[in-house]
Amino acid sequence: MHVYIYDSYLAQKKYESIIAKIETRITDLGLGGKIVRLGVMNSIYNTIEEELKKNAKTIVVVGNIKILNQAINAFACFSRSKQNTCKTPLGFIPVGKKDNKIAKILGVPSEEEACNVLSARRIETVDLGLANQEYFLTEARIPTEKTNVEIDTDYSIEITEKGEIVIANILSDLNTSPGIKSKINDGVLELFIKPKSSNAFSRKNKKIKNNSVFSFKKLKISNPEKGVVLDDSITLPTPVLVSIAEEKLNLIVGKARFF
Amino acid sequence: MFKSNDQTSHNIKEAETIIGPSIKVKGNFHGEGNIIIEGQVEGSVKTSSYLLIGDKAKIEAKIEAKNAKIGGEVIGNIKIDGFLEIKSSAKILGNIEAKELSIEKGAKFDGSCQMTSGQTSKNEVAKE
Repeated sequence: MHVYIYDSYLAQKKYESIIAKIETRITDLGLGGKIVRLGVMNSIYNTIEEELKKNAKTIVVVGNIKILNQAINAFACFSRSKQNTCKTPLGFIPVGKKDNKIAKILGVPSEEEACNVLSARRIETVDLGLANQEYFLTEARIPTEKTNVEIDTDYSIEITEKGEIVIANILSDLNTSPGIKSKINDGVLELFIKPKSSNAFSRKNKKIKNNSVFSFKKLKISNPEKGVVLDDSITLPTPVLVSIAEEKLNLIVGKARFF
Repeated sequence: MFKSNDQTSHNIKEAETIIGPSIKVKGNFHGEGNIIIEGQVEGSVKTSSYLLIGDKAKIEAKIEAKNAKIGGEVIGNIKIDGFLEIKSSAKILGNIEAKELSIEKGAKFDGSCQMTSGQTSKNEVAKE
């Protein structure tokens, strides 16, 4: 059975018509199933765990990056507890343009059009990043200022210019990296260091030599002031240990995905 | 992890690691893919592929690679399995071991040079 989990913000009246259109489309495509509306009384973690135990065919989260990130964490925790990758795929219906940059990365169009992607059921098994105890799908970001990075305990990196550090499982900004495609199941993460003076990570760009790229499996980040932002949704205080997670995720993606 | 479709800039495209000019790496930096260094490195650098050291790079490290092109400053011994190309902008203070060597006019080199068959260093890189 398909299980649809709606984020709590969708209870607002302004989303009524959007939700109605999505539900109509789901029914038209024969993808109907159980609907769970998140609220004060039910957590996404318990809901997903319960539904996975009942062998749900697909779990679909409806909302933005925040609910998707929570769902990814719930799936990964379930896989960890079972010591095996959960076979049930996770789908996503983005609602609203705010906080939904990730939809484009996954090749999932907004709202009712996303139902077509669910219907096509194109499943990719993807790596997940792990930052302390939190999982992330796309990127972890932190400013370079006062940040110390230690990679695989073999060497450390000092950054002499202000800018941004991006740890990428799936690189989200294609405008800054034309011609580069992410490989999402190669078992390594990439660290990009982008000084402010540089406009792009692009390897085509003339300023390419200002940027730095490292592949790694384990990394430690510390910064006395700033935290690490995961998937544009949660901030973790440092020190943060980042690695590739043992758990993987089966994700329903669109044809126009970035990876 | 990332794969480029761009075929125009061979070295950049295939680099697994790029150390930019604003970066200083301290420690043992070992990799299997191509490495481009434009910044500073202290410790050791080892790769079983290609190493490019840019004109403004400063390296205080023992270097081992399959092939390399050096344009910057290197203090430390260099062991290259195949071809080592030293550009006119290079300043090298240390001993060189390489199978094939090219030194451009204007390069500064203070040390000894030993031409090898390439087999020894290849085995050592493979071992480690």
